Amino acid sequence: MKEAKTDYTIDYFLNLEGEPCPFPAMKTVDAYDDMKDGEVIEIISDCPQSINNIPVDAKNRHHEILLVEQNGPTFRYVIRK
Amino acid sequence: MNRLRKTWNPLIVVPILGMLSAYFFGLTSKQWAVTGEFTRWGGHLMNFVGVDTSQFSYFKLIKFKGTPLTRIDGVMIIGMFIGMFVSALISNNVKFRMPTSKTRVFQALGGGIMAGFGARLAMGCNLAAFFTGIPQFSLHAWFFTIFTIIGTYVGTQIIKRPMFQSKIKMKKVHKHHLYGIHDVDHTKRNNWLLVACAALILFLLFFEFNIQAMFPLVLVFGLSFGFLLEKGQVCFTSAFRDLWTAGRSNMTVAIILGMIFSTIGTFIFIKGGTPATIHWAGLNTIVGGFIFGVGIVIAGGCETGWMYRAVEGQVHYMLVGVGNVLGSILLVLVWDQIAPVMAYNYPEVNLLQTFGPYGGLIITYVGLLVMLGLVYVYVKWYFRKQNNNTHAIQQEELS
Repeated sequence: MKEAKTDYTIDYFLNLEGEPCPFPAMKTVDAYDDMKDGEVIEIISDCPQSINNIPVDAKNRHHEILLVEQNGPTFRYVIRK
Repeated sequence: MNRLRKTWNPLIVVPILGMLSAYFFGLTSKQWAVTGEFTRWGGHLMNFVGVDTSQFSYFKLIKFKGTPLTRIDGVMIIGMFIGMFVSALISNNVKFRMPTSKTRVFQALGGGIMAGFGARLAMGCNLAAFFTGIPQFSLHAWFFTIFTIIGTYVGTQIIKRPMFQSKIKMKKVHKHHLYGIHDVDHTKRNNWLLVACAALILFLLFFEFNIQAMFPLVLVFGLSFGFLLEKGQVCFTSAFRDLWTAGRSNMTVAIILGMIFSTIGTFIFIKGGTPATIHWAGLNTIVGGFIFGVGIVIAGGCETGWMYRAVEGQVHYMLVGVGNVLGSILLVLVWDQIAPVMAYNYPEVNLLQTFGPYGGLIITYVGLLVMLGLVYVYVKWYFRKQNNNTHAIQQEELS
């Protein structure tokens, strides 16, 4: 997977590869607390379950989901607080 | 094709599972359940190391005889594993993942043992004593549900402790490109494995037909259950736990909806003469439900949850599975001492008898709707509290 360019600035990067459920989701929710409104975070997780929780948690908190993609067994979420 | 590869919405998948579980009950007179069969695996394991299992009454209770290939539950579970694996291959979710730390290994085994022990003490996990137990109109399933919910709350407080939290740190960056994910292309491997699965399924269909004509159908049910569980990433643990960790209710609502669909179906079959499965509404259910609830949260997954994650290649959940079987063996060993005071002296309450057939049906539906209502109110409250907290922090920062 090439390092694609983005038209927004990514302010935080959280690589959760290897962490099983529910820690990717818990860590992500905690991450929002340390971010200012408008900042962007890129999250990587290879827990397939994360697709049912990271985007849902973001939506519940009215954060903007910029990107959700699966590259092989690894998922990427880009979210603007 | 793309739709087949993506994860399916649990709000659709779980109601389908609910309906299928009702048909499965109509076909086999058995609930869709897994822990009883895991306990029988424990029995095989005990036989293998030379233990005489006939001395334990629990094995009589769960009708331990034959092999997985000659038991309805056994055939169904084999189907589930294959169905989950097929789904994981199609979804490209198969990857070998080792536990990240010793703490996780300890959690998987310890939580797994607690969950296995608790579930068998209560005569079923969150399938037989919740998802397919409530639609059987057995009061014990309600006891189990309430105490599992309490258990998951306690479990969540435990995994929130710093020692269990992920050690991974968020990095402050300033970049305009996405992280390059280093995944190998598994397409070829996955396709070959799918072909192998197809061959195995064909073989099993013929093989099982020769054992009993109904078994191929049982296998198909298992395949469908497994496929849908992985495809929807249906995690019963998350349905309880994530209410506490994140105020998230999508899985909880999906599962209650599933029971709303399956309850009427099982009711019709029970009315048609299929006997319902009723267990003791006793101390065993209450204590078992609580231990189970704590255990599944520490382990990170219950029985169905570890199954699909294990075939995805997550070693953590293979360990949960081992823990489950060990926990159920422990329960078998102590059952004869504790059952007279915890189970046998309590009544087996069938709501359809206590309140009459339609009374029992109405009470069950009222119960399910109350559950749905409570979830709604709780989530509202959760986010109101969160907003107040953030406002308070902002106020502090301003002043």
